[in-house]
Amino acid sequence: MTTSLAALAAPREDYSYAFLDAYAKRELRRRTLKAIAIPGYQVPYASRELPIARGWGTGGLQVTLSLVGPESVIKVIDQGADDSVNAANLRRFITRMSGAATTTDALQATIIQSRHRIPEEVLQENQALVLQVPDPEPLRAVQSDSSKAHEMHADADYGQMWLVLYEQLVRYKQYIQGASYPSLVNGRYVISPSPIPRWDTPKLHQSPHLTLLSAGREKRLYAVPPYTDVRPLEFEDIPFQVEDQRGWICQHTGAQNKFMNEIPLADGTAAYELSDTGYMEKLSAEANGSTRGATYYDDEGNFYHAGYLKPPVQPD
Amino acid sequence: MYVAAKGGEDAIQQAEKLYQHLNGTLTPELVRSIEMNMPYLVDRVMGEGSLYAPELAALALAQTGGDLYEAVLLLRAYRSTQPRIAYAAPVKPAEMLTVRRISASFKDIPGGQILGPTLDYSHRILRLDVLDNPQENNHHSHSENNEAIKIADKPASPNYPAVADWQRGQGLMAQLPEQTPVDAADIPDVTADPVLFPAPREHRLQALSRADTGGVLALGYASMRGYGLIHPTVNELRLAHAEVQVKHPVTGATFSAGRVRVSQAEVVTSGGENGKTGLTVGFAATLGWNEVKLIAASTLDMEMNQPSPHPAHTEEFVMYHTEAVEASGFCIHFKLPHYVTFASSVDNIRKVIATFYSSEEKSNGADKPTEIQSETATSEAMPS
Repeated sequence: MTTSLAALAAPREDYSYAFLDAYAKRELRRRTLKAIAIPGYQVPYASRELPIARGWGTGGLQVTLSLVGPESVIKVIDQGADDSVNAANLRRFITRMSGAATTTDALQATIIQSRHRIPEEVLQENQALVLQVPDPEPLRAVQSDSSKAHEMHADADYGQMWLVLYEQLVRYKQYIQGASYPSLVNGRYVISPSPIPRWDTPKLHQSPHLTLLSAGREKRLYAVPPYTDVRPLEFEDIPFQVEDQRGWICQHTGAQNKFMNEIPLADGTAAYELSDTGYMEKLSAEANGSTRGATYYDDEGNFYHAGYLKPPVQPD
Repeated sequence: MYVAAKGGEDAIQQAEKLYQHLNGTLTPELVRSIEMNMPYLVDRVMGEGSLYAPELAALALAQTGGDLYEAVLLLRAYRSTQPRIAYAAPVKPAEMLTVRRISASFKDIPGGQILGPTLDYSHRILRLDVLDNPQENNHHSHSENNEAIKIADKPASPNYPAVADWQRGQGLMAQLPEQTPVDAADIPDVTADPVLFPAPREHRLQALSRADTGGVLALGYASMRGYGLIHPTVNELRLAHAEVQVKHPVTGATFSAGRVRVSQAEVVTSGGENGKTGLTVGFAATLGWNEVKLIAASTLDMEMNQPSPHPAHTEEFVMYHTEAVEASGFCIHFKLPHYVTFASSVDNIRKVIATFYSSEEKSNGADKPTEIQSETATSEAMPS
C-alpha cells in the first residue's frame, strides 16, 4: 500500500486563518497590548496590505482580524448602518476569512467594527469596539509634520490645540470643531476620536467596553481601555456641546434624542431617521420580544454619566 | 441608493459583476498576451506592487481592465499573504547582465555608452499604417522601421563597471563606507516594520523602489524645475537582468533561482552643502525597467539628504505621498458615505448662524464673523 504525499500533507490553504499570517497577527496583538497599556498613545505598526483598498477600513480590519476567532460574533457598521455597502463588504470579508458569526445587534456582538459611529446602546465589558481611523493625529491641523507632532505628544505640548479652540470662541462664540473632537485620554494624550460625531465622544468616557482605534494607511493604532477618563478639550467656563438635534423625530420609529440622519426632502424640508440601524431594527421589532439595552442617552436626551455634559454657555 | 435598506450585499456583488462584464472575458490567452506584449506596463505594476511575478502582474492588469492602481493593489494584497522563504544575495551592478547603460556625465565612459533598447530617439509618430493592414497586426516586422535588428559584429559585453568607480578613483566622489556583512533577515523592511522618521536608508530606498511612478515624477520634477538643487546630472542609468541568487536550504550551495529585470539610476550634482568638495549623489533602483521613475526617485533621494530640503522634498513628505496604494486608496475613499461627519459640521454652521443672525442679534451686526467659509474648512481639516 502506498501513501501519497498529498495524503500526508496538510490540506491546502490558500490563506491563513483570518487572512493575516501569524507574524502579522503577533505584531498587531503586541501593538494592541501596548496601546491598551498607554491609553491614547499612538503605537506605530507595520500595517499589512489587505485585499481592500487603503483608506477603506484596513486599519480597523487588521485589528479585527487579529482578534477574531471562530466563536466571535461580528457587527460591522458604517455611518451607523449595518447594510451600508462598505460595511457589507468588510463583514463579508471578515466572515469569509474567519467563519465568525455576524449580527446587527450591538449587544450580541463580541467585536464591533465601525466607521464614524458608536452604537446607541451602552456597550458591555465583554465587547471590543474597533473604530476605523483615517487620520490618527489630532495635531495634524496645527502641525502637519508627524515627527514634530510626535514630539509634541511626548511633551504633552497641546497649547496650540487650546489656541485653536480659543480662536473659535473669539470668532464664533462657540467651538466649531465637527466630528473627531480632540479629547484627552486618561489625563495624558490628546486623541482624534475616529471621526465620530461629538454625540458619540462622551460614550468613550469610563465605558465598560474596550475601544481600539486603528489607522491602516497611517500605520498607527491607539486604545481607550475600559473605565478610562476621556474628556473633550473644553475651557472650564465654556462647555463642549454635542450636536443639537432636539426635536428631530425618527420617521420610522418615532424615537428621538438619538443620533439622526437628516434626509433632505424635495419640498425643502427634511425628514429624520435613526443613524443606528441595529437599534432602529430593535425598536421596530420590539413587539416581537426583541430586548433593548440601556442607551447612552435617555429619551429626554440625558447622558448616562450625570453631569458629564453641561448646558451651553456662550462667551460674552 | 447605495445605502439600500436591505440590498447592500447584493448591490456590491452585482456592481462588481457589471464591471467585469463590461471589461470582457478574462482568459489565459489575454493574460499571456499582456505579459508578452506589454512588458513596461507589467514592469510598472511589478515595481509598484513590489512583487516580481510577470504572470500575476499581467493577470492583475487583465482582471482590473487595466486600472493601474487596482492592479498594483491586487498584487500587493497577494504579496502580503506570501511567506518569505529566502533572502537573495545582493545584486552587484558590475555582475548584472546589463542591456542598457548610459551616462550623461561624460562623452564616453569605461565600457562605453550602451544605448540598448530605448524609444529616446524615436519620432513619436503614431503608426497608423498598422491599422490599415489588419492581417499584419500581430507582426511588427513589416514596416521599414521594424526590419530585423542588425546583429553587431562584436557583441557588447554583458558586464560594465560603475561610472562612479572612476569618479571615486579621481577623488571626485566620497568613498563607499566599509561594508560589514549583515544577516539579510536583519535588514530593515518597509513592508514589515513601522515607519518612523528619520527613516533608515533601507526604508527610504525600498519606499522609492515601490513608489507610485506618477507621484515620484511629480515631486522629482518639482525639485528639478526649481525647488531643489536645480540640476541633477544622470551619472549612470542601467537596465539589466539580475540573477536571483539564493542558498539551497539543504546543501547551502548558492544557485540562481531565475533572472529579474531591474533598473537603477544614479544622479549627481555639485550643489548641496558639500557639493563643492565632492559630488552629491542620489540613487534609486527598482524591479522592472522604469527609467523616468528612477531619475526622479534618485533626484529625490539626493534632495532628501540635504540639510533643509524644500518641504515637498523632506523624507516624510516624499515617502508618505508617493505610496501608490495608500494615496490612491485614500483618494477614492472619499466616495464612501460621510453623512455623519458632514452632519456634525452642518450642526456647527447652524449654531453659528443662530448665534449671529437670529432676530435678537441682528441689531448687533458689527459682531458678525467675516471668515465663516474658511474657518468652516478648518473645522473639517480632520479627514474622515
